[in-house]
Amino acid sequence: MTTHTPHVDVHSGAHTGTTNYLNNTSGFMSWAGTLDHKRIGLMYLIGVSMAFLAGGIFALLVRLHLWSPDGALFTNEAYNQIFTLHGAFMVFLFVIPAIPASLGNMVLPLMLGAKDVALPRLNLLSFYLWVTGAALAMYSILAGGFDTGWTFYAPYSLYTNQAVISIGLGIFILGFSSIFTGLNFIVTTHKLRAPGLTWFRMPLFVWAIYATSILQVLATPVLGITVALVALERTYHIGIFDPRLGGDPVLFEHFFWFYSHPAVYIMVLPAFGIISECVSVHSRKPLFGYKMIAFSSLAIAIISFLVWGHHMFTSGQSTYAMFAFSFLTFFVAIPTAIKEFSWVATVWKGSIDLNSPMLYTLAFLIIFAIGGLTGVILGVLNVDIHLHDTYYVVAHFHYVMMGSISLAFFAGLHHWWPKMFGVMYNESLAKLACAIIFIGFNATFIPQFIMGSRGMPRRYAEYAAEYQPFHQASTIGAMILGCGVALMFGYLLASLFAGKKAMQNQWGGVTLDWMTPTPPPLENFHQTPVWRGEVYDYSTLDLRSTQTPVS
Amino acid sequence: MFAHLFQTPQEPQKSFYVADQGVDAWGQLTPLASTFDHVDHVFYFTMWMCVFFFVLIAAVLGWSVLKYRRVRFDQPAASNVTHNTPLEVVWTVIPLILVMIIFAWGWKGSLDMAVAPQDARNYKATAAQWSWTFRYHNDPGSSLNELWLEVDKPAAFTLESKDVLHAFFIPSMRCKRDVVPGRNQRIWFTPTRLGDYHLFCAEYCGKDHSLMYAKVHVVTAEQYGKRPWDTEDPDPKVNGQRTYEALCKSCHAVAGPNTAIAPSWFGLYGKSEAVIEGGQEKTITVDDAYLIESIRNPSAKIVKGYESAGRMSPFDQGQVSDRKLGFIIEYIKSLK
Repeated sequence: MTTHTPHVDVHSGAHTGTTNYLNNTSGFMSWAGTLDHKRIGLMYLIGVSMAFLAGGIFALLVRLHLWSPDGALFTNEAYNQIFTLHGAFMVFLFVIPAIPASLGNMVLPLMLGAKDVALPRLNLLSFYLWVTGAALAMYSILAGGFDTGWTFYAPYSLYTNQAVISIGLGIFILGFSSIFTGLNFIVTTHKLRAPGLTWFRMPLFVWAIYATSILQVLATPVLGITVALVALERTYHIGIFDPRLGGDPVLFEHFFWFYSHPAVYIMVLPAFGIISECVSVHSRKPLFGYKMIAFSSLAIAIISFLVWGHHMFTSGQSTYAMFAFSFLTFFVAIPTAIKEFSWVATVWKGSIDLNSPMLYTLAFLIIFAIGGLTGVILGVLNVDIHLHDTYYVVAHFHYVMMGSISLAFFAGLHHWWPKMFGVMYNESLAKLACAIIFIGFNATFIPQFIMGSRGMPRRYAEYAAEYQPFHQASTIGAMILGCGVALMFGYLLASLFAGKKAMQNQWGGVTLDWMTPTPPPLENFHQTPVWRGEVYDYSTLDLRSTQTPVS
Repeated sequence: MFAHLFQTPQEPQKSFYVADQGVDAWGQLTPLASTFDHVDHVFYFTMWMCVFFFVLIAAVLGWSVLKYRRVRFDQPAASNVTHNTPLEVVWTVIPLILVMIIFAWGWKGSLDMAVAPQDARNYKATAAQWSWTFRYHNDPGSSLNELWLEVDKPAAFTLESKDVLHAFFIPSMRCKRDVVPGRNQRIWFTPTRLGDYHLFCAEYCGKDHSLMYAKVHVVTAEQYGKRPWDTEDPDPKVNGQRTYEALCKSCHAVAGPNTAIAPSWFGLYGKSEAVIEGGQEKTITVDDAYLIESIRNPSAKIVKGYESAGRMSPFDQGQVSDRKLGFIIEYIKSLK
């Protein structure tokens, strides 16, 4: 029998106990100036969680307003600002950075057997750029808000009398945070793998983060250029997007979606990575089709650059462009289907532990199946002409962004929580919260599929009375979902103060992140680990480590 | 601090959406009222295919969880299989074939929607924040936020925007096209059922996006021949009020003082107004000439205090004819 890491003895407690990354130094500056990837990941985790809560409150306000056809609460201007804030906060401050910057930062070097990321100072700079972007977003609210939708379509974004430039600057800066993080992870993956950890022995979370990082580095500059052009157009009227000055608003759509379509995969690939880990560990079974999953991440990363026009089937682009974009869109469906089938095949004949990370993972597999399959319906040219810009699209991308990505984020959070903090949350409450979130989520968005295919347009402050039952069902669902999320944050925070001690290897993982002491010490490993054997080989699992509490 | 964000209770309830003919309690789509039935065919085919794959995935997951649940902490997996090439080829090739069929079917449908037939009747739809103006073939008249179409007669539209992006969307006809300022877009369909239908703006266009709405009346050839869009009230004030409600109401109040968005029309006619013209402040008296200029070229003189407010779009002859402009002035004169 081969052993992966004979140097790391996790049972004796000889290296653990006294100090770990949480308590080895203290004081404000030991956090604010830290170069430790784990502390930076933790600060990101706090930041993106706050952004998620803010975005969630905006979502609940939107849903409450839509209780009645005339709008229950706000003026139309205020409603437009609130849905814009919901989208902008969720996309730019939460979903894009959430998994790579918080859990990725925390786990990637551990999985590679590295002391830290390759460029720790750049990592800290990325975090402060994120904070600056978030501060500018907050400033934009105080400066009057913005009502352009998160898509900032020209020429409305050029004419509206609101704080578009400051939020544009915020997004520009957030883009640099994203680029630097991506660059850092690419270098880390190439240079800092442990001896023996070849490319096809890397955990799939690493593959996913690697594919994401390539997208971040290649696509994000286009977003920066686009928002910079909007700011220049608003200030100096140079005539790029403004038809009154000879510009072309459809050009803006091309620029915007050239970034924002790959951005969908910047958001979802890390989620795929978490699901690959959770499916394997909690089924105690090697991942089915490891290489296919790894290659399909790269295939998705490449094809995602070639399908942006499917957001523009009604914009008046040429018939030939429509042909190409629709055709290529269906090619994203194939690697995505391969992943889903491979995960299901991994669960089959596993040793399935129905703990809370696994429940979130199973919820992901169900919800992502719906999100992915409705994407096939939207890729059909003539059908999309009817469904474009309706609630059907809203429901589809919430199944992907909220249902799939956030649930994968929650799965990862529950999976690595004992690793990060050495404590366990209340498992019964966690299972309950997962059930509430699953029910609330579906109750929110299934009615949106129905009213969307019946013609309910998105971004409407008021609507025709025939859609009211669906809106009301959706609002009730959103309240249930909100309760579930609140409960989740509640027991997670409570566990930090009153949680039971976690096990050294809580779930029985066999990747390097579970081979260090829990919580990990400052530089992760007391000696450089050496990897032998294959990845996800559960015959090497030492069951004692799953029964030994952290000291 | 946040009071201005909320609706005021006395704000009039303005639910003006018609009862669309296409309400069906059980269909996933609204009932079709045009010839684009291929949209429904591909939609339902793809939907049932997706339902099949979803049930397959959920069933395998559910069965696995029931059958292979871990009961002892040291229980190993029942199988350590890592791949199965024939299975992987099957689940790659079968979806590939299916999506290619769907793609080709949908693409063929979209080609049908691209070019209008020779015998189509031409219309022009002008979108502006936040109204639709329709003009009819060989007819000097126009209609605001209401559109009359003849049943079974192909209707082809030239779409024009006065300001920002809009989208022309009639769910029951399965048609949608963005209305892009600076270019003329085309859309066509053949209505096949009599009745009233929604026409929504589907591309976000600012404050009253959701109120940018037109009623589509599909009528018989005989009713269409009577040109219902040309009816005019003998009282010019009533005609002016109709135009106001269609085009001006989103911003201008007709009772009470000026709002943050636009000056009120109440007591406007004959009043002295401080305006900014070319950067210079001056005082003018509101008369016919000033009102005409303020509609045809609103940026020429801006009422003091609105320099940084959103700009009003100009209205040309096509949207507001000189005759209708006269009615609006009569209506403003009556607001005292």
